[in-house]
This record gives sequence, structure tokens and C-alpha cells, in this order.
Amino acid sequence: MALQPSIEPFNRQPWVREEDLAKALKLHSKQLRRILRFFEEEKLVTRVHRKENAKGTKQHNAAAAAANDGQPVTNKEGEVKVKMHTHSYCCLDYAQICDVIRYRIHRMKKKLKDELDSRNTIQHYICPSCNKRYSAFDALQLVSFTDEYFHCEICNGELVAESDKLASEETGDGDDNGRKRRREKLKDKQQRIEEELKPLVAQLDRVKNLPAPEFGSLQTWERANIGAFPNGDLGAADSSRNSQGQYGTPMPYIGETKFEFYILGDGVKEGAESGKNGSELKVLPPWMIKDGMNLTKEQRGETSNASKFDENSEVKDDKKQDSKDDQSIQEEYIKAYYEALKKKHDEASNKVKTEGDIHISDPQSERQLGKKYKREDEDEGIEWEEQQHTGNTTETYKLADLNAEAQESGDDEDDNEWEDG
Amino acid sequence: MFFHIVLERNMQLHPRHFGPHLRDKLVSKLIKDVEGTCSGRHGFVVAITGVEDVGKGLIREGTGFVTFPVKYQCVVFRPFKGEILEAVVTMVNKMGFFAEAGPVQIFVSNHLIPDDMEFQSGDVPNYTTSDGSVKIQKESEVRLKIIGTRVDATEIFCIGTIKDDFLGVISDPGAAV
Repeated sequence: MALQPSIEPFNRQPWVREEDLAKALKLHSKQLRRILRFFEEEKLVTRVHRKENAKGTKQHNAAAAAANDGQPVTNKEGEVKVKMHTHSYCCLDYAQICDVIRYRIHRMKKKLKDELDSRNTIQHYICPSCNKRYSAFDALQLVSFTDEYFHCEICNGELVAESDKLASEETGDGDDNGRKRRREKLKDKQQRIEEELKPLVAQLDRVKNLPAPEFGSLQTWERANIGAFPNGDLGAADSSRNSQGQYGTPMPYIGETKFEFYILGDGVKEGAESGKNGSELKVLPPWMIKDGMNLTKEQRGETSNASKFDENSEVKDDKKQDSKDDQSIQEEYIKAYYEALKKKHDEASNKVKTEGDIHISDPQSERQLGKKYKREDEDEGIEWEEQQHTGNTTETYKLADLNAEAQESGDDEDDNEWEDG
Repeated sequence: MFFHIVLERNMQLHPRHFGPHLRDKLVSKLIKDVEGTCSGRHGFVVAITGVEDVGKGLIREGTGFVTFPVKYQCVVFRPFKGEILEAVVTMVNKMGFFAEAGPVQIFVSNHLIPDDMEFQSGDVPNYTTSDGSVKIQKESEVRLKIIGTRVDATEIFCIGTIKDDFLGVISDPGAAV
């Protein structure tokens, strides 16, 4: 059977209609369904059966949600009766596949081990005529005084011990050699299993720590990809998007923890300012900065950074439902920010600096970005003005910089986000 | 394993026993009822060692019986999985042998008997090693390990093995061949 090419359609889109799969594999659909059912029972594949009409299937083709799903009632009301066919979709369940495979290998090895070792397993007995299974616990009731075998309770047939299944192809010799040969057979089997499963086990190890790609249920996936499809971009429906249809690194579908990941990701930026962090000055959030406080530029500079991040996190905390939107915007912001940073890096190095430290130039530019926001925000205007009036040369210097840099830093449209936050 | 625990039971006493020896009659009834029984939770009650407390009797409506809540101390025996016991063989079968360790019956199936011991039928069925040095037959004492217990409400039954180290026959019965 053409199993190898069968993965291809799943690489293109996670949820594949079974009819499409049959065409791609050139298999009869009944055969395919049988195979898929087998896989479903083995938990390698997730299947969903859905009633749709022809329009709905076309919509699925465009990966949009089928609007007429399960609503035959409203359709029948005035218009042409819509025929509902059951369509089946299947999706490879990656996370489950790994687990299932690991479990099966473990069970196989355990079974062999049990057979070979002391075999502290409970014996089971089967009646050959009525196929009733007994365990050794039932032995007391099964013992017969007439002969030395166990007899079935129902049909009085002789019970057969259900053991050594793996090695029971033994016919041959007397019992002494029989057992030895069975042991050798089992050992041989064990070795062969180890060897032949080695590449599979290696692959599992490689994949073990990676998060499995999650596509969500059929509906969420379709909904997520509606937006992409007006652009006619089928290729977007792949795992590079998470189930909300947003760009981002494929992360496990955990939700809120994505925040933390993201905030820590901000540390990448802070790494660029490591020289600042090395100065061991505490970061003061802007609300802590009061009039007349003797703060170094770094503290204030850092605050504008930290405040940005704080507000970042505040925004996130406040809008947990819009979290994903924020996050994607954050990503874009960060990308744009990095580009702006690079630009400013060159320019800032040409300016007069009070500390002449390259690392500080970064916070300068960031400060400018931050400060621009604060200037526009009237709520903090008062605080801001107090700071401006403290009369530090550094402060005025910063202001001057702001004026010079205002236009470039204004390129970040996402500053508007800040205002709203 | 043996345990010494406190159990409680409601004893019903017929009015004909009321009198100066009420308490004695109550205790002897308790002993008669409880000793030798098995509960799934505590195991087999081997012996009652003392009565701790007899509560106030409650006269039942309709009949003249009186219910006394009695707290008593007793020795119980409960086998556990993984426990190692000595037992006496009671029956040898082609499928294995049965042994008794006090009140509990243990079955050792033939696949948990060492491979070098083979069943030999006859008027004294037994398991013997190939060189005849070790024999398991009726009334032999064996040391075995319990690998599973089945606990009903009133019955405990165990499966054992002698395939591990230090398990097997301890002593043969007097008339060994």
C-alpha cells in the first residue's frame, strides 16, 4: 500500500477530506475508509464526520467554515432544499502518534521481558470449547478431583493455560528442551526488536522535546484560515500559523503562558543593553519617578525601557482575550523596532553623549520612542512636565534629541497601541 | 502478615441471656461469631484478645433483642502482594499446586514453578527436579512469594510463585522417596 506518499496531503493542510485523500492516493474510497478506520482505532488519526451540502464542501476547499453546517431547517424554509451529505475529514494527530508509538514499543518490550524473566504474571486459562477465560484466582473453583486438569465451569472442558504465547510455536522435543528453546526464541526476538526499532526510537527521541503541531478542531482550523483565503493563499493554511491564524512561532496551544514566553522574549532586546544592566542600577518605573529625585540617566533611561515592557505586560494582563492580537502586534512591533534600532544605532553614535557609551545609545533611541508616547499621552503630561522642568542638562538634551528624532520614531504606528493601553 | 487491631461490631442478644452474666454471654457470643471469619478489609480474624468496651444496649422495636456495640481487640491475618510466606502443600495438580498458610489458600501455577521441576503423576503426584533432589508433594513445606491476592467481601485467595531466589521447598514430609 502506498503509505509513503500518503503523508503529503497532510503536509499541505492538516485537515484533509477523505475523498481528496483517496484521489491523491489513487485508492478506492472504501478501502481508504477501512484503512483510516483502522488508524483511528489505533489513535494515529483523528476523524470528523460532518454533514455538509455541496456548497459547504466548496467552502472547505477554500478552508472557510461551511455556513450551512447543521442548519437544514432554515434552508428548507423558503428556498431550494439543500441536500446534506456526510463528509469525513481526517487529520494526523501528531502528539498522540508519538505517545501511541512509545506506548506500544514499551508494551512489546515489557511482554517479552515478562516472558523471559521470572514472569511474575498471573496465569490465565481458556476453555477451548466455550472460550471462557479464567484467571489463576479462579483456580480453586476450577480444580477437579477426577483428573489433574482444570475444567471449565460451564462445559467441563479441559482448560488450556494461556501463557508463553510469544513462544508457543514450539512443538518438538520433550519438555526440557522445549523450555530452553522457547527462552532462546524469546531472547532472539528481543534482540531483533531492539535493532529494528532503533531508527524509530531515535526519531522519537529527536521529537520528544519539540511541541507537537496543533491544528485545533476542524472548525477552529477552518475559521482560522478564512482570513487567509481571500488572498487565495492556500499555502498559508499550514502549521506556521497557530489556530488563531496569526503569524508567530509555532508554540503549544497553551494560551496565557504565551505571554510569559513573549515577555521573556523581550529579554532578547534587553540583551542588547547588557551594558546598562551591568551598571546595577535599579529600574524605576515612571510612576516612581518623582520630582527632584536624583536619578541617573540610566535609571530614567531604563525606566522608559522597563515602562514600555511593563505597559506591555499591563496591556496584556488587561486584555487577556485580545492577547493573541496583542502578541502578534508585539511581534510586528519588535521587528519594526529592531529595524529602527539598527537605523538609530548609526545615527546615535554620531551624537554627543554624556556618557559616551554605545550601549546607552540604544536606550536613548528607545527612550525617545517611549518618550514620544508619553508626550502624547496627556494623563502623564503633568508628571512629564515636572520631569522636564527639573532642569537637568541631560533632560533638555533628551528633549532636543526627541525633536530631532521625532519623525523617525514616529514610524512606529504601533505607538498608537500604547496610547490605548 | 499479622496485625493486632481494634474492631467494632454490633452484637444482638436475646433476652434469655439477660442476667448477672450478661457481659460474659455477650463476649462468648462475639467470639463464636467472629473468630475464624474473614473480612476483605481486615483479613482473617485469628483470635480475639480482649474486649475493650461494651456500649449501652439499644432495645430494638418489635422484638426484645438488644443491640450492643462492642469494641474488641483481635489478631488478624491479611496476606499482601509481595509477601513471602511459608505454606503447607495440600494438593498437587498438573496445573500447579495448592498450599495453605493458615487460613489462606495459595495457588502456585506450573509456570511459576522453576523450569527444572516436572510434574509426575501417580498415586502421590508431585513436582520433582530432574535429578530427584527436590520434591514437592502433599504435606511438603514450601516458602513462596505472593504475587496476587483476590479479595472478596468474605474471602481472600492468593497466587504465589516459587520461581524467585530463596523460595521453594523447606522440608519434605517424613516419608520422602
